[in-house]
Amino acid sequence: MDFALTEEQRIILEAVKDFARNEVAPFAAQSDQDHALAPSILPQLKELGFLGSYLPQEYGGAGMDFFSYCLLVEELSKACASTGVLVSAHTSLAGDPLARAATKAQKKQYLSLLTQGEKIGCFLLTEPGAGSDAGSIQTRYMDQGDHYEVSGNKIFVTNGGYLGLGILFATQDSKLGHEGISAFILDLRSEGVTLLKNEEKMGIRASYTSAFALEKVKIPKENLLGKEGKGFHLALETLNGGRIGIAAQALGIGQAAFELARDYALERKQFGKALSRFQAIQFKLADMALGLESARLLTYKAAWLKDQKKDYSLASAMAKVKASEVANACAKEALQIFGGYGFTTDYPLERLYRDAKITEIYEGTSEIQRIVMAKEILNPT
Amino acid sequence: MKILVCVKQVPDMESRFQVQAGGTAIEEADLAFRVNEYDEFAIEEAVRLKEKLGEGSELTVLSLGPQRVAEAIKKALAMGCDQGIHILDTASRDPYQVASLIYQAVKDQDFEVIFTGMQSQDLGYAQTGLLLAELLGIEAVTTVVSFCQEGDGFLVQRELEGGQRMNLKLQAPALFTCQLGLNQPRYPTLPNIMKAKKKKITQLEAASLAPPAARSQTTSLRPPAKKGQAKFLEGDLGAMADQLVAELKAKSLI
Ligand SMILES: Cc1cc2nc3c(=O)[nH]c(=O)nc-3n(C[C@H](O)[C@H](O)[C@H](O)COP(=O)(O)OP(=O)(O)OC[C@H]3O[C@@H](n4cnc5c(N)ncnc54)[C@H](O)[C@@H]3O)c2cc1C
Repeated sequence: MDFALTEEQRIILEAVKDFARNEVAPFAAQSDQDHALAPSILPQLKELGFLGSYLPQEYGGAGMDFFSYCLLVEELSKACASTGVLVSAHTSLAGDPLARAATKAQKKQYLSLLTQGEKIGCFLLTEPGAGSDAGSIQTRYMDQGDHYEVSGNKIFVTNGGYLGLGILFATQDSKLGHEGISAFILDLRSEGVTLLKNEEKMGIRASYTSAFALEKVKIPKENLLGKEGKGFHLALETLNGGRIGIAAQALGIGQAAFELARDYALERKQFGKALSRFQAIQFKLADMALGLESARLLTYKAAWLKDQKKDYSLASAMAKVKASEVANACAKEALQIFGGYGFTTDYPLERLYRDAKITEIYEGTSEIQRIVMAKEILNPT
Repeated sequence: MKILVCVKQVPDMESRFQVQAGGTAIEEADLAFRVNEYDEFAIEEAVRLKEKLGEGSELTVLSLGPQRVAEAIKKALAMGCDQGIHILDTASRDPYQVASLIYQAVKDQDFEVIFTGMQSQDLGYAQTGLLLAELLGIEAVTTVVSFCQEGDGFLVQRELEGGQRMNLKLQAPALFTCQLGLNQPRYPTLPNIMKAKKKKITQLEAASLAPPAARSQTTSLRPPAKKGQAKFLEGDLGAMADQLVAELKAKSLI
């Protein structure tokens, strides 16, 4: 048993922390206000290899462990949650399924584009009528002999606005249920793909959340990802790992809120004393620290299990629920500690409060995570 | 051109420091360590020089200290150094001993240019680089804020008091101690961090390098005693300014 980071993980963490603090955090408020990341961010993520982190070296990734990837997402999100989710969706929702299910030729052509940041990756599963119940998607594909033709609607696509590379899920016939679903590699600049809008949101506002109409989109035969009919399975597997990244994002947001609140409590005086001298405030801070520590242990363990190639379904669901709920609790209490100032846009608390919320929703809501957990618990193998 | 950069690993300056029971050293057990900030300028400048020279130049990073300093060496390798030398040493040393040990390790290697930080963030002696140059019998330039290689010589700028600058021209071999403002150190990229694992680090035992006796000793170390008290002015800007002037006058400071 060892709770210490390896030397390599410490070097990565230091580099990422320095970068996030110096180059990302100063732009977070402006990016939120502009509903767009500051233009300096993406080129640097690319340059530093942050878009290829744990993807295989053979295809241009850094080949580091998944654990270090979680440290990366955590630190970026601590500085700016929108930057964190850009990296998270790109890497674990687009890069990961390619690394897992793509043929050598597909990896050479597409995975390399992602690791090098030539294209930004995204994941097109959700539809207006299919959210938590992702198996009920209606987007149809038809085998046209030399290509597939796809029509339907996809919504809430993180990173969609970059019009990069998507992992698209569509069904041959919705009557076939899960077995009808296949996955495809889709260039979002293909003919027939229309970007309908980028959502206006409560939080992670500098991250694109896009809606697309797909109208008779021609997808080359060689862009089928994995076996036909195995798409739903691939989607679930992908989200299983992806949600560890979202847990790491939540940790970053929660940690940011906690540190701000702690420092403020030590400084702000009322009734002649620092706020940190009031037990009501002390208990809030103690609970935040406790929550963050538990969430961190769960998240790191899930990441470790994934690196060990052990089953992490239960661990990742637990990590995501815990970390997202802790992040929301921390943001809420930290804002409370800041009082009226926390409610103003002069301080980052209101942004953290808005950003935290999404972690309880995407890549499986907390309710769905509990269903996953119950299934695992009630079906001992 | 053979280039050397010497780096020290220091406690993260945001740490909470405590003096050890003996009263002459800092408690290290719970400290996080990182590369001395001035040495990061040194690494960056060394890497830039190597990149400019291209083929045929070789950049070595050296650090002295316990096992943990391997991490500092690896960071420098990830930033672009080619190989490392680790002088494994667990003793606490004065600057003369440190410079002597480095000298013993590198004296036969004909480095033509050596970069060090101007000083360390923790002890701040600002001596190691200078003493090393002296032992090697080569030129040294301190507080370098601009560096340019031309042929087998260098054009450098030093920072003086009061914002003054001084331009110098000199020939290799030479040692430069790097000051804030020289450059903006790069972040190691993730692929380079992973590749650094494969670069060679030569480990030398300090004991095998005949460390000389220390020339100075730390007799005691303690946090500064609290004296006086900060006063916070309140009110609107005008009132605070008046108050400040009154305070300064009362203390005969203006
Ligand atoms: C900012 C943002 C980014 C996103 N990024 C992506 C993306 O990149 N790719 C992608 O494909 N999708 C993405 N999504 C979609 C996201 O994953 C879904 O919104 C989420 O899974 C929930 O689906 P839904 O919104 O349709 O809610 P619904 O499924 O309609 O759920 C509504 C409520 O009912 C609850 N509920 C549903 N079913 C059950 C049940 N069986 N038992 C108990 N409670 C239940 C839910 O927990 C929730 O509280 C994103 C969403 C947002 C908002």
